[in-house]
Amino acid sequence: MFNLIRRDVILQKRLLLTFLPFILFFIFMDVHPTVTFLVANIFIPYNAFYYDEKAETNILLNSLPYTRKEIIGSRYLGAIVYMVLAVGVTSLALFALNKPFTMTDIAVGSGLFLLFAALTFPLFYILKPGHITTVILFSFILLVGIGPPIMSFLAEHLTAITDFVANLSLPVLYTGAVLAIVTLYGVSWGVTTMIYQRKSF
Amino acid sequence: MENVVELKSVTKNFKGFSVENIDLQVKKGFVTGFIGANGAGKSTTIKMIMNLLRPDSGEVKLFGLDYTAHEKEIKERIGFVYDSNVFFEGMNLKDIKRIVAPAYKHWDDTLFYQYTDQFKLPLYKKIKTFSKGMQMKASLAIALSHHAELIIMDEPTAGLDPIFRRELLDLLQELMIDGNRTIFFSTHITTDLDRIADYIAFIQNGELVFNQSLNDVAENYALVKGGMELLDRDTEKSFVHIHRAPTGFEALTGNIKAVKNTFGDSVVIEKASLEDIMYYFKGGIHHV
Repeated sequence: MFNLIRRDVILQKRLLLTFLPFILFFIFMDVHPTVTFLVANIFIPYNAFYYDEKAETNILLNSLPYTRKEIIGSRYLGAIVYMVLAVGVTSLALFALNKPFTMTDIAVGSGLFLLFAALTFPLFYILKPGHITTVILFSFILLVGIGPPIMSFLAEHLTAITDFVANLSLPVLYTGAVLAIVTLYGVSWGVTTMIYQRKSF
Repeated sequence: MENVVELKSVTKNFKGFSVENIDLQVKKGFVTGFIGANGAGKSTTIKMIMNLLRPDSGEVKLFGLDYTAHEKEIKERIGFVYDSNVFFEGMNLKDIKRIVAPAYKHWDDTLFYQYTDQFKLPLYKKIKTFSKGMQMKASLAIALSHHAELIIMDEPTAGLDPIFRRELLDLLQELMIDGNRTIFFSTHITTDLDRIADYIAFIQNGELVFNQSLNDVAENYALVKGGMELLDRDTEKSFVHIHRAPTGFEALTGNIKAVKNTFGDSVVIEKASLEDIMYYFKGGIHHV
């Protein structure tokens, strides 16, 4: 399993050189730290799919002594491992450049990443290769661009829900969010494993 | 005799094509050549042996184990070579080794470098810059470096020049000196098999026509030539397929004895090559 996770670094070693400039760009543009953390987290796992959506990669991985469960497991566990690393590097970069950020930025950025991953990872195994990147890119733009206005629209018009959320104490709200995301991530993992086990190569 | 691969009534249906009721045994310590025309079901069968495809029904066992409970154990003991490059084409061989090697418990680095030396493979050039032959050698070097007991190859000689094809066959022969090794490989270049195969499995339209030793094939099948006047509804029964020409007929028989009894000296009986056998079976009617 560890070997499968490590594989992403070997595959992306050239691309990884662009990781830092990529993060610095966001920092210098004075983008909100939450967003910086989010894009930093997305970098490695989603680049990895560039290789994984190819049929040959799946033939190779499935011919090696790995089970399909492990192959999917390495994707989901790997996303968390690389998230932790990305958060570390990004924090250091922000810190070195004297840009203020809070734990909340990290938590929200990572939480959004996990949410996004939970929703999109299964798509890589459902949709035909070639279309996926487009779909993901589009949904990311939707999430970032149209998400907030929709949220504020809902907040204004569905007062019952907003009142309910507003009345929750902060610890409850955070715990709830964490639980919801973890559950969703777990379900997504299970569903993807099921889909992958039924695939033919 | 011990079977390394065992397929029992394996069926897989696709839209417009199916592999039906395959019973196939690959014997330990021998080279089995898997022949059939393009689209006969060779790759599908190999994919089922590799668990890349699950059969709709039937049983696939390798080393007496099934994939549900022993997937890793089985694949640990297989070396695979596919007809197209499955390695990340933008990477060099060294990096590919870095990814593949840790997957195997018995990976042998010394052996790997010995093969890359022998095949003159550059370690730091991208795989996509390799010629077809070099890509094949690279796959082979990787397949042979973890002491696999079973080597499965899908069309390894396709697209290779005759010289390298021979080198490859010599190499495979060398590998077989170790009596525990088994090689199963598909090809449609049947002349490869005359040199190294012990057994021939022949698939046609998704059905296994036969799986016999090369000797048995030679003893059972023959080409028969004779005048058209010899053919009638009864005598035609001894043939798999008959090719008619104004000058006479040429046919394949799977029962040399019967032909000798029926026609005696009035026909010429010649050795049938594997290519002849494939060609006549493709012609249609199966009496065998």
